[in-house]
Amino acid sequence: MEEELYVVGKRVPRTDSIYKVTGAAEYTADIKLPNMLIAKVLRSPYPHAKIVNIDISKAKRVPGVKAVITGKDGYGVKWGVFKYTQDHMMLPIDKVRYVGEDIAACAAIDEETAQEAIELIKVDYEPLEPVFDPEEAMKDGAPLIHEGYPRNINIHVHIEVGDVDKAFKEAHYVREDKFRAQGEAYAMLEPYACVAYYKNGYLDLWMPNAGPHVRAKALSNLLKIPLNRIRVRHVFIGGAFGGRSEVAPADFIVSLLSIKTERPVKLVMSREENAISSRQVHDVVARIKTGVKKDGTIVARDYEVIYDGGAYSSTGPIAASVPFYVYEECYRMANVRYHGYRVYTNKGIRGMYGCHGRAFLAGCEAQLDLIAKELGLDPIEIRLKNGLRAGEETATGSKIISCGLQETIEEATKKVDFKNKWKKATRLKGVGMGCVAIMCGFPMGFRSGSSCSVKFNDDGQATIITAIVDNGQGNESMAIQIASEVLGIPMEDINIINADTEATSLDPGAYSQAATFVGANAVKRACEDARRQIAEIAREKLSCEIKDIVIKERMVFSRKNPENKIPISWIVREAFLRGKPIIGVGSYFPNIDLKREWVSKPFGQMAGSFSYGTSVAELTVDENTGKIKVHKFIAAHDCGRPINPMAVEGQLEGGIMQAGIAAIMEGNIWHNGFLMNPDLLEYKIPTAKDMPDIETVLVTTMDPEGPFGAKEGGLTIRMSAYSAIASAFYNATGRLFKELPLTPDKVLELLQTEEG
Amino acid sequence: MRNRKISFTVNNEKVTLHVRPYETLLETLRERLLLTGAKEACGLGSCGACTVIVNRKPVRSCLILTLEVEDAIIETIEGLKKNGNLHPLQKAFMEKGAVQCGFCTPGMIMTAKSLLDRNSRPNRSEIIEAISSNLCRCTGYKKIIEAVEDVCSKE
Ligand code: FES
Ligand code: FES
Repeated sequence: MEEELYVVGKRVPRTDSIYKVTGAAEYTADIKLPNMLIAKVLRSPYPHAKIVNIDISKAKRVPGVKAVITGKDGYGVKWGVFKYTQDHMMLPIDKVRYVGEDIAACAAIDEETAQEAIELIKVDYEPLEPVFDPEEAMKDGAPLIHEGYPRNINIHVHIEVGDVDKAFKEAHYVREDKFRAQGEAYAMLEPYACVAYYKNGYLDLWMPNAGPHVRAKALSNLLKIPLNRIRVRHVFIGGAFGGRSEVAPADFIVSLLSIKTERPVKLVMSREENAISSRQVHDVVARIKTGVKKDGTIVARDYEVIYDGGAYSSTGPIAASVPFYVYEECYRMANVRYHGYRVYTNKGIRGMYGCHGRAFLAGCEAQLDLIAKELGLDPIEIRLKNGLRAGEETATGSKIISCGLQETIEEATKKVDFKNKWKKATRLKGVGMGCVAIMCGFPMGFRSGSSCSVKFNDDGQATIITAIVDNGQGNESMAIQIASEVLGIPMEDINIINADTEATSLDPGAYSQAATFVGANAVKRACEDARRQIAEIAREKLSCEIKDIVIKERMVFSRKNPENKIPISWIVREAFLRGKPIIGVGSYFPNIDLKREWVSKPFGQMAGSFSYGTSVAELTVDENTGKIKVHKFIAAHDCGRPINPMAVEGQLEGGIMQAGIAAIMEGNIWHNGFLMNPDLLEYKIPTAKDMPDIETVLVTTMDPEGPFGAKEGGLTIRMSAYSAIASAFYNATGRLFKELPLTPDKVLELLQTEEG
Repeated sequence: MRNRKISFTVNNEKVTLHVRPYETLLETLRERLLLTGAKEACGLGSCGACTVIVNRKPVRSCLILTLEVEDAIIETIEGLKKNGNLHPLQKAFMEKGAVQCGFCTPGMIMTAKSLLDRNSRPNRSEIIEAISSNLCRCTGYKKIIEAVEDVCSKE
């Protein structure tokens, strides 16, 4: 029998929203501390240049300036997520590698003074030949950006399963295409900011981040301060989308300035600085070759994907792999070869994006439709035929324990009469779809698991303590909702202490879609532990069996005698009297193959479970202006079970905008290493008027491992929405896209070419 | 440049301040009056996160100088709650799930409020037209539109 749930699965207002609608929520830039100094950073005007000398003497003499720092004030430590990717000094001493790179910084009593000082720093550069195009950078003789990386290849991921060449020879039909995509701006609405306060040997920090523990660890290495002395604190965060996952140069700089002055220091980036000097998204070139049997079974795949990695490694190996994995977690791949190259160029630092690798995924999916047509099939048939199902294994050996791919395809396409529309596509009007899977958590070594504790006050209210971080997606509310369900007390009775490295235990963060599947699983277990302790005492008081204990609306009773109720607060007090207060602890470690390594051993269980999703778009193309109009967009996502359906829908709706509509308008434009559209006037993000009619579908598969059956809540749409646009464009025009975004100039050019 | 004296009303309170001639209203609100609900997300007039209401009109406070608001009546998100009760828009934003990261929320609500002040029964396209002046990176706008519609249907 399906257990009865009181809160989980309900459309509840998020607990954090009250602070946000009243303006009370404090984001990093809103923080004001006594004696706080303001920091400013001097940035490189060159994409590639040797630093000959930095003269800070004049800057230091400006009245009101309290500290000026350069790379020499650091500890010579280079940051990288992996031992083999440690290449980022945060404040370089040898040379600069991108326009906007941090060179020096100062802290002063106010912003104007800090700005004045920055302008007085004199840097002598010796310009070096730069390289901007990753394919150029890979050629012999290209200027080298880092030592020890021939042809500027930062990371090379090679995955090979089956006998690819033989499979191609035997294939009935083979197709090869090349696709490109400009990188995008995360454009989270909150520009990056950081506050640091070093006092009595302890460093407190506030900044938008997607994993406080991961951040603290990086800073501990960079600053040579033990972990217990670095305390990343909770703060409201104005969006992340993958762009706040790694340590930022600003964190290091502000910390160093605070250590020097022993005063709180705040740095708030402008929108342009956020675009140029916080993280950006990889530009991608993907060569996709696919071989099929007559019946539509895909038998061979050969992929070469080049990621424009910018100046430093960042999450290099992960970034160069993830687009492939989310695809292999979705479709059967008996014979597959993947070469992923992440290449250094003289451009800004890069990170993962919720919509990472769009050229690859959209390319694969649009090409699949062309193949389907060639074989007399349709997009639905070919996807259902090749899509993975629960119980199967992916090409690299991840077992799938729940899978709603089929349902998302069926539900999403049903809404627009897809089959008929696709077959009878009228000129310049089309439908298209894209599918993908997402891992609920990456392998992050001992950081892959999470733990939580819960304690009760004597009035029967509780506090949960978890490292879960909320970047805006609603993770805090989700954790409280789960705790409320297990503990039998309303959500308003539960406080949360989270995203604070001093109070909480290790956790992967919101990075890698682990919050629900891993973090909330630990919350559930901690609450179950507390509930057991409550039930233990209640059993005595109610003279019943433990299995009959029910806790509901702050009351404890036996299922067999529901009239006889005791308030939960009485039990809590009794526990205090017995010297055993109710304190629940719980942890969750997902089933991940810990021997798996992104480059050296890309095989084994990737994540505890995978979510599935399908995007469907309907659009028209104006042949005179080249403008695409998206009329309808359906997003169907298998999140196991939605904890808060309203919150999950919100994730899908955001994904439609951030990936789907972005596919026709968003892209970073570069000229000689300069980002030409760093602000929100030149870089267009969709407004309410750009949005089509949207529908979302939540598919329930009840994951056997996830908390209450839940999995990751919505990233599949961010990862598949642009595929739907690319496929619909093919259906409307008979042409595969060549480069995203499909802006009018590119559309008009494509319409001049032959179909196919 | 010397500071100059200016008086205006914010959320029903009269204030008199000495501000720099080049100081924006957003800076004055955030730095001097500690009203940090209005956010700076672009500083260029393109996002609307800094929207406040000045003399019944929605204004991008990053674009106007404080010296321009002499004697003006200014409303910010902090003044929306009346006698401890949330404004219907605040409630609707919560109940309809129109809030994610929340960085756009104060500006979005102020824009919506000024729409409702002018036109208490806007239709869907009027709502879309009005809020299209504000950017939100998280929600895809659907639930924001529904929240405003919800308030209109109740009024
Ligand atoms: S900060 Fe004023 S419009 Fe963006
Ligand atoms: S809720 Fe994040 S920008 Fe609107």
